Amino acid sequence: MDPETFRRDLTAWLDANARELTPPYEGAGSMDEHMAHYSDVKRALYDAGFGRYGWPESVGGLGGSPLLRAIVGEEINFRGLADPNAWTMIEVLAPTVIEFAPPQMSARLVPPFLRGEEMWCQGFSEPDAGSDLASLSCRASKTDGGWVVSGQKIWTSFIQYSQRCVLLTRTGEPDSAHRGITALLVDVDSPGITYSPIETMHGRLDFAEVHYDEVFVPEDRLLGEVNGGWQVAMDILPYERSTTFWHRGALLHRRFSDLVTQVSDAGDFSDSSAQAVGQVLLSILAFRSRSRDTQYRLAEGQQLGVETSIDKILITSAEQKLFETARDLLPGVIEFDEGRDAEMWRTDYLYSKAASIYGGTAEIQRNIVARRLLDLGPES
Amino acid sequence: MSESIDADDLALLAASFEAVMADAPSPGEADRALHNLGWADLLDAAPGPAAAMAFTALGTTGSAATLLDDVVAHALGLPITPEICMLFPATLHNNPADPHPDDPKILLQEDPFVVNGLVSSRINQATAVVVALDDGSGPVLGAFEAGFLRNWEATGVDPAHAYRHLSTRVRTELMTPIENNGNWDAAMATARMALAHQLIAGARRMLAEARQHALGREQFGRPVASFQAIRHKLADSLVLIEGAASVAEACLRDPDPMLAALAKALAGQAALTTAAHAQQVLGGIGFTAEHRFHLWLKRMLVLDALFDSARYLSTEIGRDLLIHGTVPRLIQL
Repeated sequence: MDPETFRRDLTAWLDANARELTPPYEGAGSMDEHMAHYSDVKRALYDAGFGRYGWPESVGGLGGSPLLRAIVGEEINFRGLADPNAWTMIEVLAPTVIEFAPPQMSARLVPPFLRGEEMWCQGFSEPDAGSDLASLSCRASKTDGGWVVSGQKIWTSFIQYSQRCVLLTRTGEPDSAHRGITALLVDVDSPGITYSPIETMHGRLDFAEVHYDEVFVPEDRLLGEVNGGWQVAMDILPYERSTTFWHRGALLHRRFSDLVTQVSDAGDFSDSSAQAVGQVLLSILAFRSRSRDTQYRLAEGQQLGVETSIDKILITSAEQKLFETARDLLPGVIEFDEGRDAEMWRTDYLYSKAASIYGGTAEIQRNIVARRLLDLGPES
Repeated sequence: MSESIDADDLALLAASFEAVMADAPSPGEADRALHNLGWADLLDAAPGPAAAMAFTALGTTGSAATLLDDVVAHALGLPITPEICMLFPATLHNNPADPHPDDPKILLQEDPFVVNGLVSSRINQATAVVVALDDGSGPVLGAFEAGFLRNWEATGVDPAHAYRHLSTRVRTELMTPIENNGNWDAAMATARMALAHQLIAGARRMLAEARQHALGREQFGRPVASFQAIRHKLADSLVLIEGAASVAEACLRDPDPMLAALAKALAGQAALTTAAHAQQVLGGIGFTAEHRFHLWLKRMLVLDALFDSARYLSTEIGRDLLIHGTVPRLIQL
């Protein structure tokens, strides 16, 4: 199906079902409300077929290009119909699980994720392994019929709503770095897993600190090879930076439109505001165009790699520039105002500060560009 | 891309164009050599890809060939000939009372009328200067005799370049209207797309100079390329260049004038930021006349002003968004 026809059919369906798809909650809504509505939207899209395109038939999809998935997420985020972060999880995790899990396992586990009945999470970061992810120490030891996992993870988004977790564990020597890491697909209700939410500065409870205390993971939940977990983690990155970024770009576009409308309604056409708006447009456009090229490379089956660090830097700059500009052009709103609108500006503004930290910090991205794309040799 | 010219053909032509530009000492010689390579036919067969290829070559080599006259003339349906010199709009002043060539409202109401813009070195051989006028119903084209402008010295920051500032008054009786079906907005879009490619190629060239210097220059017993402060400046330059390059490429799929203006603005920003970073990384040598860096820096300043600077374009487009209160979704899958 060509992207244009698909988008036309999809937007017609979204318009026709706008009442059921629009979030029912007043104000910014609680996490529970967001997750319940996310499930409903995902299910409705699945039943209508749109949510199945771009996914292989082996996991309940209808096949077709990943461009179709990019379009679904774009239109959902453009209309603000579902929690944007919840929406990303399947895009980030499912393609890699499909690639690395035994086919019969992904055929069993992925479809409920696709239908919105399940949520999955990603157990990568640890208190002592942030930018230096390869130094992680959460240990998986071989036992009869599987693995025993003990250790600690942090920044695990959505674990309280999740059924499964893609977990990176240490299986080699403690200093084996990226050579001794193994990826496992763990059931979150396994005995020995406990978690406590981390309250963030923007007032959300997306994240959690997770303890694994002798958690048994069956043999068949191995993703890829033993000590081949780094490859699994590296495989996730390009997905995180293709469809998911495209979706987030749509959200930025919507919030930028909101800003332009509000500044315009306030009658502010000054040079300085015009210049600031123009600069945000340039940032968003540069990202969107770059990301569009990346979607096509993914759709053509090209191997995405370190060059997606450029996409990451571009979207981070666009996001932070957008919300800083919102603060400049809507004076006092973020600092003092009440009501849904102000609450959303405040939340988005504060959350944008995380964009240069999560998914590889701004500095790590520049290190990668310098080393791998500019070939500047080793750092001193 | 035109069906008659594929990517392989263009790559071959690009190599020939670069070789000619690198060899030809003067703009006039470069122009003649490029015409002998079939530039006019190429422009006719595939205007967008041809302009993108040729202006990338201009940016890479630093040549002062006057191809912009051809690109604009072709987009307006005028003949491609050294006899015609175009008046190009540029960001030249900050005084709102002065006419901006983009928006030439007052031109035909005054006598003599004000001509204020940039012309290429073609002015020295041209018989006519073509300008966009506003007769009240939108841009129309007119031409005036160019003879009195012959042998006119180049001035400014980049005298080696083909462009110079023309600010003069011309009596209305010397103006001949041109009847054709050319579309000035479309011609500006093509010019901006082409210049975006030239700026990006120039930025890549400056980045390459800085990279090479950073790898060879040792301080504190190691190459300065090993220091994170330097690596991150060069990484930021590459990110800006790739973002701008993607939008410039998108202009070949979508001739939207707003997209072309944004591509030009992004390319200008990428080029000027890369120039600043590259100069800092080059250190002292980048400040000398001996190192060729300054040639690119000066060229970028001129190219940014030509067909309007990044600052001017982004402000005007920002104001457009505010006036309409909406943001168009540019770039689709």
